[in-house]
Amino acid sequence: MQLGLFSVGDITPDPTTGRLPTEHERILAAVTIAKKAEDIGLDVFALGEHHNPPFHPSSPTTLLGFIAAQTSTLILSTATTLITTNDPVKIAEDYSVLQHVSEGRVDLMMGRGNTGPVYPWFGKDIRDGIALAIENYALLRKLWREEVVNSDGKFRTPLQGFTLAPQPLDGVPPFVWHGSIRSPEIAEQAAYYGDGFFHNNIFWNLSHTKRMVNLYRRRFEHHGHGPADTAIVGLGGQFFMRRNSQDAINEFRPYFDVAPVYGYGPSLEEFMAETPLTVGSPQEVLERTLSFTKEVGHYQRQLFLLDHAGLPLKTVLEQLDLLGEILPELRKGYAEGRPAHIPDAPTHASLLAAARERKAEVGEPAEQLPSRVILDSVTGRSPEPAERSL
Amino acid sequence: MTRLVVITAGTGNPSSSRLLGERLADASVAALRDAGVPAEVTHIELRMLAVELANHLATRLPGAALREAFDEVCAADGVITVTPVFNGSYSGLFKLFFDALDEGAMKGRPVLLAATGGTARHSLVIEHAMLPLFYYLKALVATPPVFAATKDWGAEGGKLEKRIRRAAEAFAQLVLGAHPAKGEDDFEVVDFADLLGGG
Repeated sequence: MQLGLFSVGDITPDPTTGRLPTEHERILAAVTIAKKAEDIGLDVFALGEHHNPPFHPSSPTTLLGFIAAQTSTLILSTATTLITTNDPVKIAEDYSVLQHVSEGRVDLMMGRGNTGPVYPWFGKDIRDGIALAIENYALLRKLWREEVVNSDGKFRTPLQGFTLAPQPLDGVPPFVWHGSIRSPEIAEQAAYYGDGFFHNNIFWNLSHTKRMVNLYRRRFEHHGHGPADTAIVGLGGQFFMRRNSQDAINEFRPYFDVAPVYGYGPSLEEFMAETPLTVGSPQEVLERTLSFTKEVGHYQRQLFLLDHAGLPLKTVLEQLDLLGEILPELRKGYAEGRPAHIPDAPTHASLLAAARERKAEVGEPAEQLPSRVILDSVTGRSPEPAERSL
Repeated sequence: MTRLVVITAGTGNPSSSRLLGERLADASVAALRDAGVPAEVTHIELRMLAVELANHLATRLPGAALREAFDEVCAADGVITVTPVFNGSYSGLFKLFFDALDEGAMKGRPVLLAATGGTARHSLVIEHAMLPLFYYLKALVATPPVFAATKDWGAEGGKLEKRIRRAAEAFAQLVLGAHPAKGEDDFEVVDFADLLGGG
């Protein structure tokens, strides 16, 4: 089970002091939070992508690359990468480089984005959202899997004889998740490719999340990737905890009441009843989080939204300390009753091992990997095989 | 069993919109019964959903009662809607409900339009405000609609009752002939091969 954080990188005033952090502070806070996540034993840090204030992550690989340099085990991911408005060629290039510098600690989560004007700002039409997600992702997969790519789609300049540089690390493309709250087409897309499916699970009742996850699981099996309960599922969630429940509620309420996404709406109590938000003691957070399995089945990745709504960095780091304390219990809870055939989320190491196994089956020596040795077009030499501990 | 849902946006208690909704429902059930079709009626008073509707507008999160109301509409064979006239149009609360309802929920669904107002001067609000809304939602709109001014409730010769009966009979005919989509538990899936091909 992978546990981690996801952040949209919002720049929101602290409602209790009125103080607005600078973009600079928030960008550096993301680095501090990611490093802290690794320190307490979390597995994943995922960053959103926005192209408008009040959000800072317009260039996720720059920030994730900086974090990669200061961490050693943390998987760097996105929540989400805009597959609609980004050029799939640029996504392939950026994340290939990130994969190399981080020694394979990269995966991505595809999303369509939720800010209308971003489409025209990047020369796209929002009405093509689903079609863009489908065509661009099909091209991205090709770029990561075929040495010479020819492509002639509806949305992008055709490619003839294009070869991605750098090629994915060890010839193994990053694992991809698809995030969607309510589009069956995206669950179907994830199922078709045998990719992961992530539900943000923050603004909706868990019963809705369950419907989307079940659809993905059913279609995963339909498309021949294995039984439905072996599909790769990720969920979002959010909490605010203090040792004493009432302290957590009192401290979080002023942030909740005016939060950009759900403020001025339902009460904290209503929102807690209707969505997976848990505000309370570590024990309550532990129990609520572990209860998600009852709804969606055994799953592979749980990401928490902690850094948002104007909470000061100090508070977010305290939340991580508390999360660190319950982490062993959380892991134990997820392992309990988990059948042996339920897979973990794929990582670079597991995908590389699987690729080697496939090689061995067809009788090729494993050390031939990476399978596509490409000559350096400048020096005409093949690259030295890198020493890598996996 | 044919299911009718009555959506009323009256804010008083008792409310003349609710009263008109009940009269229209009774007359519609009677008309369906005459055609040999038993029907049951569910009333949704939007006043009781006002806070959840406002919350939904702010957060897109439907509360439990609101979700139940959406499910009722999506399972209905016909919908009777009644709004009071506010400033020459339907009330904001009335519009809020149909804004919050899932896209496509009213498509192909028979609707009987009705409104209440202080005087008959407001009666064209149905044609000028409600009709474009339900046309946009692709509902099957029954004619004639019913407008009830305060004075109509005391009109001699049962004129309002006759208009109610005439409207209900036409609505019942529409309900008998229509086959609106019923809410199902699973999402519709288009196979990915088709999505790729059609992309």
